[in-house]
Amino acid sequence: MPAVRRAMVLAGVMAVVVPGTARAGRSDFAWLFGSEVLPERGVELQQWVWEEDGKDGPLHTRETSLWWAPTIGITDQLELSLPIEMGWHVDSASAPSFTLQAYGLDARYRFVSQDPVDKPAFAPLVRVAVKRDVTQRDGVIGQADLVGTYDVSDAVQLAADVGFAMEVHSGSRASEYELHPGVGMSVKAVGDLRFGAEAYAELSLQDSTASWAVVGPNLAVTHGRFWLSAAFGIGVYHISYAPRVVWGVLF
Amino acid sequence: MGTAAADGGRVVGKVTVTEADGKPAIGAEVVVYVVGYPEPPSTTVTTMTQKDRRFQPELVAITRDETVTFPNKDVFFHNVFSQSTTRPFDLGSFKRDEAKDKQFPSLGVVDVYCNIHPEMAATILVVPNQRHTRAAADGKFTIDGVRPGTWTVFAYTRRATRPASAKVTVVAGADVTAELALVRGAEPAHPNKYGEKYREPSKPYH
Repeated sequence: MPAVRRAMVLAGVMAVVVPGTARAGRSDFAWLFGSEVLPERGVELQQWVWEEDGKDGPLHTRETSLWWAPTIGITDQLELSLPIEMGWHVDSASAPSFTLQAYGLDARYRFVSQDPVDKPAFAPLVRVAVKRDVTQRDGVIGQADLVGTYDVSDAVQLAADVGFAMEVHSGSRASEYELHPGVGMSVKAVGDLRFGAEAYAELSLQDSTASWAVVGPNLAVTHGRFWLSAAFGIGVYHISYAPRVVWGVLF
Repeated sequence: MGTAAADGGRVVGKVTVTEADGKPAIGAEVVVYVVGYPEPPSTTVTTMTQKDRRFQPELVAITRDETVTFPNKDVFFHNVFSQSTTRPFDLGSFKRDEAKDKQFPSLGVVDVYCNIHPEMAATILVVPNQRHTRAAADGKFTIDGVRPGTWTVFAYTRRATRPASAKVTVVAGADVTAELALVRGAEPAHPNKYGEKYREPSKPYH
């Protein structure tokens, strides 16, 4: 309906025009999970790419990881991804290596409606992932995140993400446990472009030297069926920097 | 639809719809509504069916806070959505004999489309009271229970270049007549739910 005609019909029904609710994308953050999920039967291709550079002190470990998955909306509040993960590892003590790291299932459930009118300002989401670590003979990775986003306004969103990860082995090798806390803020700048900042850490419960933390700026953008979020994490503990890019294409 | 209300008057009349070239518009769906005062919503749930790659009906008027249900009666999927600022929504893809509901809490015009079938288009008018009705095939209409006073009665059909309107003064227990004329244009193109052009017209087997 052309704008002029719409305006005239609007006048006829005394319309109250509410602000648009367009969002920058499925997630406004790169290291933190967002709370949006696909609509029922929606299909998306998602990719995460991230680097962890300068870990492990003198070894100067540099890891680049790729997470790639088709994601399917099971219901309007539950989505399921089928990821495979690959990694490139470089350090000063061994030859570089590139390998398939893991495959598995990654489910995200949003507890509240995503409808633009009905959705509450606070949206909690839980994520559970189970993956087979193919670099280990019997390794299984479990991950869980409890995410909460809060829309301060149409332009400002806050997020908190408390993650837990574990790698369990049935053999003699010790299992590993980590906490993954993060917080962030995203502000609509212009159109579908958003800027903000986020802080994120991976804290080993066995070995504090394996822990690291970053803080840095982020951005998020949406164009049609494509969305992208990126963050440049600057090391504040046991790491030099950790950039991460997440994008998705809806079908 | 309007329902009888005690102490009200009736607005009766006829709406004529012509195409832009002046020829009579065949099969135009027309709603007629009176504005000027609010009423609470009814408990009626309006149905907008998807059948034969069309919304049926293609135009409805509802009272603010009422609900519309969207059943799919085709053998293939539909993805009903609206980018309207009055009431944006995305029902996702759903199959035959499934239905999804939406409530409409704001007054205004809601253009509804299918993300899979670009030829499917419908309009929901969210109006402030229950004094609305559909004109019959011959254009005649009756709105019962209109509160006494001077109000504006509107008529609208999809693709109309503008709504038609007339001032009416309603007296309790009496009829007031309104004759309204609409001119219908072409269906404007619309983007899909991603804001993009549709890739291609849908095929009969979709």
